[in-house]
Amino acid sequence: MNPLTLKKGKEIDLPSHVLDLTLGPDKKLYASCLDGGVYEVSTAFKIISDSYKEIARHDNFASGINWSASQNTLISAGYGGDLKWIDPKEKKETRSVKAHNFWSWQSRISPDGKLVATTTGQYLCGGYEYEPAPETEPSVKVFDVATGELRHSFPHIPPVQSVAFSNNGKLLAAGNLMGEVILWDLEQDGKEIARIKTPDFTGWGIIKGHYYTGGVFALHFAPDDKSLYLAGMGSTTDPAAGNGKQLWQNFTWHDGIKKSSSAVKGEIGEGLMETLAFHPSGKFFVMAGRIFKGDWNAALFDHESGSRLHHQNVGFRISASAFTPDGKTLFLAGGKNQGNPAEERKWGRIVIYKVVS
Amino acid sequence: MPASPPNCGSPDHNLHRRKFLQGLSAGAVSSMSWGGLFGAPAFAEIAKRKQKHCILLWLCGGPSQFETWDPKPGMSTGGPFKSIPTNVPGTHFSELLPKCASIADKLAIVRSMKTTAKEHTEGINLLQRGHSPRPPFTRPTIGSVLAQQLGQLESKIPNFILLDPCPEGNEFKGFKAGNWAGWLGADYSPVRVGGEFQIPDAHKLDSITEDDHEAREALRKFFSKKYENDRKSAAASSWNATFERVNGLMSCAHLFDLERIPQADRDRYGPGAFGQHALLARTLVEEGAPFVMVANGMPWDSHVFNHEIYQMVVPDLDNIIFQLTKDLEDRGMLEDTLVVAMGEFGRSPWINQARGRDHYPNAWSLAMAGGGVQGGALVGATDKYGAEVTEDPFNEENLFATIFSALGIDPHSEFDIPGFPTFHHVENKAAPISQILS
Repeated sequence: MNPLTLKKGKEIDLPSHVLDLTLGPDKKLYASCLDGGVYEVSTAFKIISDSYKEIARHDNFASGINWSASQNTLISAGYGGDLKWIDPKEKKETRSVKAHNFWSWQSRISPDGKLVATTTGQYLCGGYEYEPAPETEPSVKVFDVATGELRHSFPHIPPVQSVAFSNNGKLLAAGNLMGEVILWDLEQDGKEIARIKTPDFTGWGIIKGHYYTGGVFALHFAPDDKSLYLAGMGSTTDPAAGNGKQLWQNFTWHDGIKKSSSAVKGEIGEGLMETLAFHPSGKFFVMAGRIFKGDWNAALFDHESGSRLHHQNVGFRISASAFTPDGKTLFLAGGKNQGNPAEERKWGRIVIYKVVS
Repeated sequence: MPASPPNCGSPDHNLHRRKFLQGLSAGAVSSMSWGGLFGAPAFAEIAKRKQKHCILLWLCGGPSQFETWDPKPGMSTGGPFKSIPTNVPGTHFSELLPKCASIADKLAIVRSMKTTAKEHTEGINLLQRGHSPRPPFTRPTIGSVLAQQLGQLESKIPNFILLDPCPEGNEFKGFKAGNWAGWLGADYSPVRVGGEFQIPDAHKLDSITEDDHEAREALRKFFSKKYENDRKSAAASSWNATFERVNGLMSCAHLFDLERIPQADRDRYGPGAFGQHALLARTLVEEGAPFVMVANGMPWDSHVFNHEIYQMVVPDLDNIIFQLTKDLEDRGMLEDTLVVAMGEFGRSPWINQARGRDHYPNAWSLAMAGGGVQGGALVGATDKYGAEVTEDPFNEENLFATIFSALGIDPHSEFDIPGFPTFHHVENKAAPISQILS
């Protein structure tokens, strides 16, 4: 493989931090933002004054946006615990479902577009050292995209911050604050098939106070569905600094839980990693997030060797990423500092990169 | 388990002790002279006799006003938590405070604190001492002043107790290692307990009888006082204060044992260290402690993960204030016990790149309940973003004047510190926040 690089193209401003994005119909891009807005975003490389258009609104942070090609609908999720079905052509909401009593931390659509999974859970004090209290509602739910009906409810230890379908759509994985990832087999009526536990993504505050921070912020199955990638931030004792290692780990479960690979020391800095997405070739993936220390907050890693192929500092915190189906373009989204609110500055960002190899 | 020693509460103990301290050199550090004892405002003495108490829930790190007492739902600065109505018409709190919302008529809220210190060390000093530094003089912290004003030197329970199970805390750790009592001297520095900080060696040896123990103590006290008087030694004074404290701790060590508290009470306060120590503070006040400060490291310093952290720490605080207020009321103690919940500043209206909130002294909030303050009071206001105070700005001097006034202490009275410049409990004749005083 020739050396991989990312060539920066257009940078798009949005009203607030972008929490999630997805590619929709006709190569359009959709973003869900911290101000509650769900936006259709123009990805044309020419600079135009109006790069985005609001198509739906949550009454709280809009944490997720997903596209179901088979059902021809967008589904957004919000911190109000609600899911919204949105017709992209009409740009209007067609259905709303109350999924949780607390935030939808993350939502994902199944590869066939028939199911949407969402996770929730409030971190409440459950012990002297502030270990999380048990859940008060199922932390993971799966809904039927066609009907909006609940198909599965799964228990977990809240908060559950990440969720992923396997590439064949048979498995579902969800990860939480305490570094615990549960895998369920959806073809066996949601039978739990594995439970991965790693202390490496969770910090317990010593410097500032005794409580837990971090957790598994992103999950992605490997292209062959035989292993699962976890991303987040390495353990830290100062939760107010966010100075854990930029971290991914890859686990297999078929022959017992094993960590098969992880980010290589010397190739990672410090900061929370929030997103991990595979290139359509299946040969490499992008992991991105925030930079606290080091020289990058977005990097491409080789799936087979785990080595870093390319890295760069994008200049703002990244919360979401997506490759186009042809693999030629990478979208990275997040935000800068909000700044003085009276100035009403646009602080959300999407940057478009050409993937060059 | 030994029974708690009786606390007679007689001011005579103060008198004899102070008479003795008056014999010290000019450098000695009693804050109230012989003359000052009788010159002090009458109501301060009444307050002492009535045994006023104060519990400070020290929210170190700087709690966000947006996720507590001054929510801005729907605004770009408001964050993901909504506001909820309280049992005081027109007053709304963050939805993270449902229990406090149900007792808002017992709470006094100030939404218009406006101070200047932007960093922790500076802010902690400012909000613990009530005044900016004036080297080389070290102003005592609020706890030390209240220990001196409300406490009794002969009390078997410490007059200033700091409960903080978290040994770390960056700037707070540095502050904790510093000089709390300032010019009031070692008599008024805190006894620190909690979590890893148990009271060591506080039990009388079984090999010594009670009579033998008392006789030894009387002999030690006689000779050490004589030495202190003869030599006019500040060092000896400090040593004696330490011995007095140890002597007191031996008598009351069991009061610091969480295990002695009924499990039902412990369950109500929640399992976290902060809740358990707030409960301990209540029991210590019941036993006569005039001032207890409860801290828990610096968990409010949310530069990163503001909303993710506050989803946990604010409900914890909500329950603690609710239980404490209800318990004190049920025991008939709320009228004489002032509860204050505050930190060294607030947090920024804007979200930083780490989706956290940074330090913000320009406009922040605090809450009080109990003795001397008017339940249901809501004072001050901020603009729609929560960025600037728009009504009734108050600073640390106004706040300290309020706390002293609520506890029956003349805020503008002078410290009696021979050889020192004139210092007042609150300088510049700063007015208390009269709207919340009952």
